[in-house]
Amino acid sequence: MEQNLTNVESFGASHSFTTRFGKFLKQLAERPLSLIGTFIVVLFLFIAVTGPLIAPHGYDEFMRDDEGALMRRTEPSLQHPFGTDKDGRDIFSRVIWGTREIILLPGIATTIAVILGTSIGLTVGYYGGWFDEIVSQLMDSLLSIPALVLALVMLGTFGQSEIGIIIVVVLLYTPIVARIIRSTTLNIRTLGYIEAAKLRGESTPYILFREILPGVLPALVVEAALRFSYAIFLIASLGFLGLGVPPPSPSWGRMVEEARGEYLQAPWALWAPVIAIALLVVGVNLMADGLRRIFRHEIDKVS
Amino acid sequence: MFLNSAHVNGKSGISRLMFTTLMILILFTMSGIAAAQDGGVLRVGMNAPENLDPATGSNDPEILFNGTIYDYLIDVRPDNTLAPNLASGWEMSDDGLTYTFALVEGVQFHDGSDFTAADVVFTFERLKAVESAALGLLGDFEVAADGDYTVVFTLAGLNADFLYGIASRFAFILKEGTENPGVLGEGDDVFSNFIGTGPFVLAEYSAGERAFLTANENYWIEGQPMLGGIEFLFIDDSLTQIDALRSGAVDFIFKLDVSQVATLEGESDIVITEVVSNQHPLIRIRSDEGHLGEDARIRQAFRLTTNREELLLTVQEGRGLVGNNDPIGPTYGDFFAEIDNPAFDSAAACDLIQEATGEARLGPIDFYVDNALNFESLAVALQQQWSEGCIDVNILMRESGVYYANNEWMEVDLGITGWGHRPVPQIYLNIMVAGDAVWNEAHFADAEVDELIAQASVTADTMARAEIYAQISTILAERGPYVIPWFSSLIGAASSIVEGLEMHPFPGLTDFRSVSIND
Repeated sequence: MEQNLTNVESFGASHSFTTRFGKFLKQLAERPLSLIGTFIVVLFLFIAVTGPLIAPHGYDEFMRDDEGALMRRTEPSLQHPFGTDKDGRDIFSRVIWGTREIILLPGIATTIAVILGTSIGLTVGYYGGWFDEIVSQLMDSLLSIPALVLALVMLGTFGQSEIGIIIVVVLLYTPIVARIIRSTTLNIRTLGYIEAAKLRGESTPYILFREILPGVLPALVVEAALRFSYAIFLIASLGFLGLGVPPPSPSWGRMVEEARGEYLQAPWALWAPVIAIALLVVGVNLMADGLRRIFRHEIDKVS
Repeated sequence: MFLNSAHVNGKSGISRLMFTTLMILILFTMSGIAAAQDGGVLRVGMNAPENLDPATGSNDPEILFNGTIYDYLIDVRPDNTLAPNLASGWEMSDDGLTYTFALVEGVQFHDGSDFTAADVVFTFERLKAVESAALGLLGDFEVAADGDYTVVFTLAGLNADFLYGIASRFAFILKEGTENPGVLGEGDDVFSNFIGTGPFVLAEYSAGERAFLTANENYWIEGQPMLGGIEFLFIDDSLTQIDALRSGAVDFIFKLDVSQVATLEGESDIVITEVVSNQHPLIRIRSDEGHLGEDARIRQAFRLTTNREELLLTVQEGRGLVGNNDPIGPTYGDFFAEIDNPAFDSAAACDLIQEATGEARLGPIDFYVDNALNFESLAVALQQQWSEGCIDVNILMRESGVYYANNEWMEVDLGITGWGHRPVPQIYLNIMVAGDAVWNEAHFADAEVDELIAQASVTADTMARAEIYAQISTILAERGPYVIPWFSSLIGAASSIVEGLEMHPFPGLTDFRSVSIND
């Protein structure tokens, strides 16, 4: 284990990114559960990217039998591995198409939230004082609003759209990321090499992004992965509540909502999206867990 | 034994939670049983009523709730015919401008006071004062008492539907002087604003949760009500309503989504009732200047590329009657004009789009859809059909509350609105189709149609009126702003212990007086 310990102070510039990434992959591979999680996430990413090539049908395509009648609620078969829904669409294809949305929307939203949150966290953590007080209080007040309530109000008022959903997630998660980065930054800024950089006369952005950022990176990676999994759940929930991307888009949450009323007649229509959501969230969480274990010592060191 | 229970308790909080839930459910059911008198208590699961003012509360739960407390002068039967109630009879003068009603004598309000002509005058004056939607069919009128048990209505002009106005679902007879009907009072007089002559007396009310009404011991019809009481359980989620019926927590639910019916069909102790009605989803294209359907060719293109038969068979699962281009549906018998809809012809629609716009395709247009019943499936199916006819739409699902509350439904270019059943077609023409109608959501204005609507309203002869309606239907099929995919069958479900229940095509008007529970 000892050799895995990396000295925080050496993050600055001495280690190249590729070596560290290779080491990180190796560490991840040492833990079977984390590896499974990562595998699941990569698999879904693959499906998201290649979806249109894999999906046998369009997500809004109505299946018809030889006589031209709509094939509504047909049981899973070789032709339709997950069956068809009440409108006669192929569920397998819808789940595959839906992967794009469930990966892309939380992915984009989490990325923006992480970038914004990190910038804010670094800045207030580094400067401290009254500036920190004001911004932190502001962030805390944003945090006090229950996630779903804020989402319901915003999307209910401004209407449903991809952009709206991304804005909601960014609003909700930026303060959380900022808070974690701030507290880590508060610890790092008193360390010797920051003092040294100041004495060298480095500019503030340089100190923030080249000296402090590498130190908070481990905590950030873990947090980003966790936020991603929460965002998946939130966006699926919004779809379930009918506030996600409008129909006929194959949103997994919406598919659950549509199928839930017919779980006795067509249980397969419910199972497919439910298992897909569960699998993805568990996968992301296992991966995040692995990341946390790998970076544990580094995170402990600065916090 | 000891070990076993320790094991169960230690296992998790879940089993304890389930146990507690079960106990609460049992207690809940027991409270209903304890309150039961002879005849039993009917438990109705429905959405929570919000506006309990009899003159303005308009949806099914509101009407159903008020209908237990108050009586009408005239009832509308499930087959749309009229039946005397508090008015034992009526006469129309030769010029058709004066109606005289004889009232039933010896009727008492829940507080023991006598029902007289003054209460009727008060009720109808109040409908005018609060501008109730009942005025749509009542028109301009004056009302006066002639002694204690005769009421005279004097009309400003001929009105062939006046009796249906008297039987309007808003025209519940209130006690003279009631100041805030439907508003809970304070202290001991908590239900003082809920005094009617109706078959049940309000005993408990918890907003958004439940209401309990006991049988009116002094009800004026001998032997009615047969029930000991009615309990309304307010459940806003339709799936939860179904689960409540399946589990035996309620005895009657109504307005089920067609896709839910199969879930209940296998249950031996549940009886499903299906009633043909004029309820329909209305697809309307806004047709005033500067809007989507300004050009009649565009409106016609929508009609040509909508396959009503297929929508009825698939989305509506065949439960209903195929629709047309105006709200006068087949349930109106003679008044319904069977006009052959042009066959589904997407190529012809494309040609019309090309002619009207000079472009190959129209859109994408924002398509606003009330998130009710199976309208989402309808919208998705329409999107496909219209796409074949060179019309592209983006579906925007709107929560009913938002859609109707902020008048969005009156403004948008293209939308689906849910219209309930009415006893006579003239109501739709007066409030939806006429150029100056309050709910002319399509902003359709056609002088010829307006003239015909006015003519129909003063034509009492059935065949003459049917002829006018047929002309209206013909015009609307050519240049109207509506597409109606189907007229819905309304579906209700009751436990098999409920007897004598006949669901009304407007379920809120379902009569509980001769219903009983047979355990």
